Amino acid sequence: MKKRIVSVLLASVLATSLVACGGTAAPEAGGDAGAGAATEQTEAPADTGSSESASSEMTEVGTPRNETLIVETQTPTDVPGQFNSYMQGTQMGFGIHQLMSAMMWEMDTVKGEQFGEVAEGMPESNEDFTEHTVKIRQGIKWSDGEDLTAKDVAFTFNMIMNTPGIAQCDYYNSVFESVEATDDYTVLIKTKESFPRLALRMGVTIWGNDLRIVPEHIYSQVDDPSTFKDENPVVAGPYTVKSYDPLGKWILYERREDWQNTTVGVVTGKQCPAKYVWFRYLGDDTTRQMAMIQNEVDILCEVTPEILQTMMSSNDKISAWYDEFPYATSDDPCSKGLAFSQGQGAPYDNADFRWAIALAMNFDEISMNIFDGAGRSSPFGILCNTSAFQDLYAKPMQSWFEDFELDLGDGTTCKPWDGEYKNRMAEQLGITGDDAYLEDMFGMGCIKYDPEAAEKLLIKAGLEKKDDGWYFNGEPFVLNLTYLADTEAQAGRGVQAAYDQLTKFGFNCNISSESSATWDSNGGTGNYYVAGYWPTGFITKDIYSQINGWDADLIVPLGEIGSGQGSRWNNKEATDIIHKLSKVSPDSQEAYDLAVDFIKVQYEEMPFISFHSGVKFVPTNATYWGNYPNANNAYNGPWWWWSCFKYILVNFTPQ
Amino acid sequence: MKFRTYFLKRLLTWALTIWIGVTFIFFIPRMFPSDPVESMIGQISARSGSMDPQQMESLRRSLRVQFGLEGSLMEQYTTFLWKGLLHFDFGPSLMSYPEPAGDIISRYLPYTVGLSMIATLLAWIIGNIIGLLAGFRKNKKSSKILEGIAICIYPIPYFIVALVLQIFFAYILGWFPLTTTINNFQGTGVFVKTLLKSSILPALSLLLIGTGWWIISMKSLAASTAEEDYVLYARYRGLSEGVIGRKYVLKNSILTQVTALAMSLGGVFGGSIMTEIIFGYPGVGTLIQKAILQSDYNMILGCITISIVAIATATLIVDLIYPFIDPRIRYS
Repeated sequence: MKKRIVSVLLASVLATSLVACGGTAAPEAGGDAGAGAATEQTEAPADTGSSESASSEMTEVGTPRNETLIVETQTPTDVPGQFNSYMQGTQMGFGIHQLMSAMMWEMDTVKGEQFGEVAEGMPESNEDFTEHTVKIRQGIKWSDGEDLTAKDVAFTFNMIMNTPGIAQCDYYNSVFESVEATDDYTVLIKTKESFPRLALRMGVTIWGNDLRIVPEHIYSQVDDPSTFKDENPVVAGPYTVKSYDPLGKWILYERREDWQNTTVGVVTGKQCPAKYVWFRYLGDDTTRQMAMIQNEVDILCEVTPEILQTMMSSNDKISAWYDEFPYATSDDPCSKGLAFSQGQGAPYDNADFRWAIALAMNFDEISMNIFDGAGRSSPFGILCNTSAFQDLYAKPMQSWFEDFELDLGDGTTCKPWDGEYKNRMAEQLGITGDDAYLEDMFGMGCIKYDPEAAEKLLIKAGLEKKDDGWYFNGEPFVLNLTYLADTEAQAGRGVQAAYDQLTKFGFNCNISSESSATWDSNGGTGNYYVAGYWPTGFITKDIYSQINGWDADLIVPLGEIGSGQGSRWNNKEATDIIHKLSKVSPDSQEAYDLAVDFIKVQYEEMPFISFHSGVKFVPTNATYWGNYPNANNAYNGPWWWWSCFKYILVNFTPQ
Repeated sequence: MKFRTYFLKRLLTWALTIWIGVTFIFFIPRMFPSDPVESMIGQISARSGSMDPQQMESLRRSLRVQFGLEGSLMEQYTTFLWKGLLHFDFGPSLMSYPEPAGDIISRYLPYTVGLSMIATLLAWIIGNIIGLLAGFRKNKKSSKILEGIAICIYPIPYFIVALVLQIFFAYILGWFPLTTTINNFQGTGVFVKTLLKSSILPALSLLLIGTGWWIISMKSLAASTAEEDYVLYARYRGLSEGVIGRKYVLKNSILTQVTALAMSLGGVFGGSIMTEIIFGYPGVGTLIQKAILQSDYNMILGCITISIVAIATATLIVDLIYPFIDPRIRYS
């Protein structure tokens, strides 16, 4: 009996091992640790031809590793095989908009300027911005060989306007009077009202845009474009779908043979070097780390600095924006900090109170607590301090910021600008460089740590300091802070650091985290007091689209969800500026001057305390591919999840 | 006649259990302080950087209609009872709109059931055999060693076991993939091979922990059964230890384990969330987690309804077959 049981157990173990390892040779060593299970020695497909590649390393999806760029996608899709960007649920960041979509205008993220992708240049508008002529690039073909023409562009606009199932349908109908092709390569767009920002609204400014041109000869044949899955997409981008996981964890893209006729081919004249791009979902942080170290992925989206350092110490081919501290890029256009729900009333709706909170916190310590000092300070309220913003607005306004004074309510004043932050951080972290270098790395300055001034401002705002803490309206004052759980490390750590600072200052604080669904709802209803929300960002000169949600006319009562800012900052001067800005050309001097006025108003009022601009640790692995953009070779930002990825990818080189 | 009455009573209890369960899970998500429409708008605006207020309002109106959130709560409830419970049509997934929640669940369910069912059954068989030996022959050295191993393994959280397996077999040895990748486009052979390679570590992690529990529980049952008078009497009669073990100890100890197995099998429909996360294994567990985080009411309803029905049905089946396993039990 005993022998029989032991035999059965041994046989089971043996069978399991055989099934697991059956048919595969020993895996290749990868990096400095472990063996690469995602790649195996297999025969290459016949089309590669050469005897050299006949036994080359293969990926798990059967493509030669040295011809495959492996990119992480942040979330798997629940709708595998759905590639229609106008059907809800399509996960555009799964390589779909990075590799296949045709955008009207794309973004040069370094210059902060748009350029035509499908469009030939920028639109030409009449004086009152109600008629816009857009020229279409010649030479772009769909992947089935048909030309991409003005008819496709006009069809796409009209398709959106005529399909109620498309989320943008109402909006397009409210904006556009008509869109028609006047010849094969010209589109005439008429708007119902003055619309000076056609390219900014209908083109890419950061992540992507909802307008993606579709082939008329395909989409005109379907009954309802909002329910057409488009499993075999015909595209204008440089890649087409070769295969996908029916469980939604990966998509394999193959380079188009007629690359000269793709959007990227026509715009740049270059061929994308990777024959295959495999977008895959890797799972939890531990798995992502191990996969990167084992060279099973070339590009990760974003990691924490701790994970990055672990990976860099295990595999010397892994790097990020900077080779050394601070590693991260600070140009993600979403600054993180503290938002106030001003609909909650006093004292949150009082600028003195908000300024007091800002002055009560030691920014040096906050910065060290978030990412060990990495990141460019962004003390400009709701405007994110990207390098473009710093050059275009912050530096020309430096003397204004330096001279700005707060009335502390007791006859004294305080200048809250602290221009020494960069030097202190450089000294503390052992960074050397000239002013320009340090300003790019740490920013021009921060809000001064001045607890004495903070106390005075709190008293001015109606708070009272007693032996056991702060009181408001005779009641103990409790500051409740919330942040989004798990997904946004910079924002979450910022709120935790603020909690420490404000507790140290003498406030009685609570802190809690929320799931994304609760967080999003509360952000709209204003159901919070102080929270780590972040205003959306921009990297173009025109700031209108970044600030138009702060129009006080859009404010709805607390508990309801409106179309504007959840903070409910109600400022007439700012609202007037937004209204004026909406009517002027984004390229005009008037628009710039109004933007400067707005920056001043919101700095005085401090509706949002910003800590840093968006700090992103985005690792790359140079084992198979090189020439990734980085601080020394900043031809683009490390935005793998943005639609402009195709213009980054075209510069990669095989190693 | 007795069986018929018993069967009808049990069937009624089964239906009542399911109705109460699904009613709870219909109303509870709607009390969440979150809104799927706002969640989606939040995601869209965070991604695209900015959204025109007019554009946002249009999108909000459009999504509320499309998500079917316009009717009253009772209208939504009666629709759910009719469509969801009777036809397993849970409506569109709100996080993957307009894909039907049922389609998404049915895509993942075979993987969850395949993995968890096999792991649970294997753990039950192996655990009970070892537990029986450890309990029946408790003074033997081998029994003590086996029991010791089980006691050591059982308290380890199963995600730790999963992580250790992943680090050792996938990262260090490279025998298995770090994350599940199923290659479906190069023929059935490749599909089966990649599926098996991706399933072994997740299954092993569930198996190890599951086995520990079954060993401990069976050992305890077998040890107390072995002390019973009828076992002593069998020994006095001169029956062999093998016969006593199989016919007296096993038969009497296994009844509780069968009930527990039925509950476990019902529970496999809920998925093994940590295993799924660590190995990136496609399953219902992560689907439920994602649905809760994103307030996808329909998906939550779908996943948990299936789980409730499965557990209730498993319990019903056990109740019905119990008398066949233990003739002492009658339908009374």
